[in-house]
Amino acid sequence: MMFQAGAVQLLCLTASSGVPLFCRGRGACRQLPFSVIGSLNGVHMFGSSQDAQLSSTVTEWGRVLWRVYHESITLIAVSSEEGASELYLERLLENVFSCMVLILGLDDLANIKNVERLKRDLRSCYKLIDSFLEVPNEDVGDLTHCADCLIPQEPTILQECLDGFSQAAESEFGCLLVDGKIVVATEKWWRLAPQEVVLLSFLVRSLGGSSSRDYPVFLPQGSPNVPHRLLCFQLLAGVDVCVLCGPTPSLQKVERELVCRFWSPLIDCLRICVRLKGRCFPGTVSIPQGILGLLLINRDNSRALCSIQGFQESAQSSASFSQERRRELLRQFYTLATTRYFLAEPQGEKHRALTEEFQFGFTHEPVQCYLVTDDCKCFGIQTPQYQCFVLTTDSVPTFALRSLATRTLTALTTQTAF
Amino acid sequence: HRVQGRNRSSGRVPTHCRLKQLLNIFSFLLTVNSDLEPEWLDDVQKNGELFYLELSEGEEEVALTQAHLAELPVANHVRFSDKEAEIIPNNKKHKDGRSSNPQNNGLSTQPTSILKSQTSQRTGLVQQQFKDVNVYVNPKRLRRNRFLEGNSLLETLLGIIYQPSWTKGMGSKGLKPNTEGRVLVHGLVPGSPAIKCGQILIGDVLVAVNDVDVTTENIERVLSCIPGPTQVKLTLETTSFADEEKTYTASNDKQSENVSNLVKLLWGEDTVELQMAIGNIPHIVMYLSLKLDSESPKEEQEILYQYPVAESSRKLRGLRGIFITLSDMLGNVTGGQIISSTVLFDVHLVHVGYWKEGENLLVIGLPAERLEYAFCQMDNFPRLDHLFSMFFQQLIHPAKLNYSASSSSHFYDISSSLFLNSLPAVRYLTLPKEIKAEISTILSDFEASDFGEMGYLIENHLPKEDLLDIALYCQIYCLLPLATEQKIGQLVIWREVFPQRQSSVSEGSFEAYREPKARYFLLIVGLKHYMLCVLLEAGGCASQAIGNPGPDCVYVDQAKATLFQMESLDNSIEERLAAPPTPCLSCADWFIPTVRDRLNSITSSPIFSRWQSISKATSPNSKSSLKNQKASPQKNFGISENVSESQMDNVLFGTSISPHSTPDSIRKLGRRESQGSGGSDGSGGSGSLFKKHPNPFYLGTLKNSLSEKDTEEMYNMMKLTSGSENTLFHYVSMEAVQGIFIAPTHKEVAQLSGSIHPQLIKNFHRCCLSIRSIFQQTMCGKERKLVSCTNTSVRKTSSGFGIVKEHGVLFQCEPENWTDQKKSPPTMTYWVVGRLFLEPVPQEFYVCFHDSVAEFPVELAFRLSFGVAV
Repeated sequence: MMFQAGAVQLLCLTASSGVPLFCRGRGACRQLPFSVIGSLNGVHMFGSSQDAQLSSTVTEWGRVLWRVYHESITLIAVSSEEGASELYLERLLENVFSCMVLILGLDDLANIKNVERLKRDLRSCYKLIDSFLEVPNEDVGDLTHCADCLIPQEPTILQECLDGFSQAAESEFGCLLVDGKIVVATEKWWRLAPQEVVLLSFLVRSLGGSSSRDYPVFLPQGSPNVPHRLLCFQLLAGVDVCVLCGPTPSLQKVERELVCRFWSPLIDCLRICVRLKGRCFPGTVSIPQGILGLLLINRDNSRALCSIQGFQESAQSSASFSQERRRELLRQFYTLATTRYFLAEPQGEKHRALTEEFQFGFTHEPVQCYLVTDDCKCFGIQTPQYQCFVLTTDSVPTFALRSLATRTLTALTTQTAF
Repeated sequence: HRVQGRNRSSGRVPTHCRLKQLLNIFSFLLTVNSDLEPEWLDDVQKNGELFYLELSEGEEEVALTQAHLAELPVANHVRFSDKEAEIIPNNKKHKDGRSSNPQNNGLSTQPTSILKSQTSQRTGLVQQQFKDVNVYVNPKRLRRNRFLEGNSLLETLLGIIYQPSWTKGMGSKGLKPNTEGRVLVHGLVPGSPAIKCGQILIGDVLVAVNDVDVTTENIERVLSCIPGPTQVKLTLETTSFADEEKTYTASNDKQSENVSNLVKLLWGEDTVELQMAIGNIPHIVMYLSLKLDSESPKEEQEILYQYPVAESSRKLRGLRGIFITLSDMLGNVTGGQIISSTVLFDVHLVHVGYWKEGENLLVIGLPAERLEYAFCQMDNFPRLDHLFSMFFQQLIHPAKLNYSASSSSHFYDISSSLFLNSLPAVRYLTLPKEIKAEISTILSDFEASDFGEMGYLIENHLPKEDLLDIALYCQIYCLLPLATEQKIGQLVIWREVFPQRQSSVSEGSFEAYREPKARYFLLIVGLKHYMLCVLLEAGGCASQAIGNPGPDCVYVDQAKATLFQMESLDNSIEERLAAPPTPCLSCADWFIPTVRDRLNSITSSPIFSRWQSISKATSPNSKSSLKNQKASPQKNFGISENVSESQMDNVLFGTSISPHSTPDSIRKLGRRESQGSGGSDGSGGSGSLFKKHPNPFYLGTLKNSLSEKDTEEMYNMMKLTSGSENTLFHYVSMEAVQGIFIAPTHKEVAQLSGSIHPQLIKNFHRCCLSIRSIFQQTMCGKERKLVSCTNTSVRKTSSGFGIVKEHGVLFQCEPENWTDQKKSPPTMTYWVVGRLFLEPVPQEFYVCFHDSVAEFPVELAFRLSFGVAV
């Protein structure tokens, strides 16, 4: 066996000639031998020559997914992870291709002129691509395609400040992030495609460490061929503010003249935000006991709130459920509920074709679901505006799950402006 | 004398030619114990296998009156060529005894030969014309049929019999002028492509094959050039009659509507027609060899078997390289066996399932449907063909096969089939104990094993693995639905089987099959709605079987006798099936407020009133209780909404005093009622219990066999949910150890008609599919953990949920055709919940109930196994 359990490997090749462009992986695996890469690509190419598009293959222990983008780039994901769902791998490939577009632009990828040069250029994407491959994933945005958010204690002050800052920087697109989670963003920023918002959040986090950056980005859906400038400034450790703008103003000018002026008065407010990192919503909102984690998605504006920390709970449960485990359980439950039951808004053509959509077989709409395992319980609710997934300990009786989840949803939606 | 492939083609022959006589023989055989040979004896194949099916009188008559005009000639084709001599004496023999029945003779139309000479006398209009006929041929199959060697390709490949010596004689009759060198059709081989297409008539002249002109000289050469399985265009010169042609096609259509497609499929005829229906949907079965012989490269040599050989599957066949490569490679890369692939094919999403065994790989491609793995030996290609054609028909077009059923139960079938068929269990009918005991005694007398009735397993004396094997066999051959829908005149199946249990002992090596310690034979005898499956053992402690023995008349007769004995129980079983469901079920539509509006406004509870009407309808055989109920519903209807609980109870209590309820049970009810708050529920439940079982015998059973305490529990169990309204919609309970499951009977479901309920049941089964897949993952995960414990190199993974014990989904529905624009439509919500028990024995329960149910009773209901414990 070439793969150890839990490994994911990502192969990128040119679709026409099958030349490997790059190969990224995580987990305990050495790079696949060239012959295997060749065969994996070969079967897909053979299929397309016969009018059949190979989409995925499942083995007892793993899963392989093929996707071709713009008839020029083939991405293959090979995973031997038990929990790796088709949804995860599909979103992963989508995200990886978007990363490539974000950094290189669609032109270079759709019309490959010089393979060697493209290979070199693609190296600049590795860091961003790796952030999607990381275990554990810091956020859920890569899976949900909804931007991870953090609800601050005083959103209005921050919002006003950000609006003023963006305006001064001659931009309508501005965003304040804590650890890759959006605290506040300008109205225009929210009008970007949800996937772009997620990508930019990941990009800002992967750039972290430097105090300021001027980075050209192509928006995969908004402007795949014309780059914009992403100006990024670190306010505190883990707190970044960024704006998307045209040729002016210069990075130095914004850094020197605007950053301090706008943000230094709010430094305490930002410090409070940093402290909310794991919980993601202010302590004033009280939610029922027994909850280990929750994932709330606003379907109208594609925002997600993933909270796995800071609940009132027993020492035992906090010991047996690490943050990673909680996040993983929520991700899995989300995958289960959305792929099997909850109907999503109809999406693009491509999405429709390549995977079977089990939930469309139901004649009545599934609105809630729950799962009881040997050590925890999950409950999911879908309303026209929200999806709410709650993870609890097994001490919560099953019949109480529903009211607990409903109360949580009400508390969060009424007491915050989420 | 050529009799090949008789096992399937013979099915129609008895139906349409011998028909009534056969039925008479049949009753004759059993009652008088005559010395006549059983009619299925002719159909025993060379290797001793038998598949014989005959419809009962009623079914056949309907079919025949519409179809005999068209069908008989075709059937007679078969007869004419090889069995004419046999039919006519048969007819005579039995007419002697039964000439008093004129209808009998009228229906059993004399084998009116379709030889041109005869029909032309009728119409008198003869015209020479050419026609093109497309037939599928498979030269590969030929090579494996040893006993066909030495015959001409014309005969073996196409199934056209040409006798050079006859040509002269026919020519002299003046039928065909100048027949020298022409390939005249003298006869057709039963089961061959030529006869299957139904358009080649005796007396036609084969003019061209794939547009290549043929004569007696070159025909063999031309046919030998057909490289592989393909469709061949035959051009025939024919003498046809315009109007006869028309009636043929018209009545043929009628016929196909009439004789259930299912039966047709079972006979193995006309699969071409059905095949056409699913022709545009890509699907395929291939059995591929992974060990390639590189020295003698031959095209398509890796395909050991494939089905179907049609246009739709050709493209999928072209993809076999992918499947082979993937199965070979991924085992090395990710470890474990390959399970499935998804391919986007034209507009269809096709799932491909794999089963790898040794050097060979079984590949099944299906349009985004469920994947299932069928498993077969490689000895008989026609049989596999047949099997897979059924397999596909079942999965892709369940509706087509079942349309003769009543609409609601039919719907139930379709929606449930996917889920229920995937359960490793057999539908089990809960029966009153006494009937069970009786059946059990009868079976023990017969030393039989396993008894199925109307698609429900009644009694089982077999180890689980054997039971599952047999059930799978029945399922694949669609036998159970057949028994449900149509009265089988007679069904005899005989074949050697290789039970899983056995093969696992002998480690599945093929050597072990050839010289096994004991050989097993499966005998299925069907009569009316009953089917008796017997597994016979030869060798071991019994005497060794030699060669390929056919079914012994003694066994078959004995089995039939047993079935006849069963018939005496028919009534009681019917009664059980007709009885209202235990535990009671509700119809989803009753919960939609609109229904309530439409009802009389004074109705306090729609469910109760509905329920009453149903129990009224289903208890017609006890008049006195009916009278009682007739009086009480009025009382019930009269209750206004503010009537207190206790009054309600009183009314119900009154209702339940049926003539059968002894003072004892009344006392019990009274006592229960006095128990306080819980009492109202209890009497509510028991009230319906009484109405459900107007059979005094049933109550007696209860009282005698159970202690008082048990009886009380029983009352509780009959209605699982609390509150005045019953909220249980549907359930399935499966026990893996015994390999059985319990679900409401078709009749029970059919009673609960409505617009929403069928949808609910469909959703229920679909949801169960999903829930069960999660349970399966849990089980697999458990095994896997054991593996990884031993294998230290495996890194600990952030594995999924661990052991999933329970999973539920809440559905919301609105009534259809909601016209009121102002008000938003009312909604009804219901849960579908599945629960997995690993202790003490693995059991799975799936229930569907209304949202209003209090949560605690749900827990209770699960504990009580929903009152449907075996």
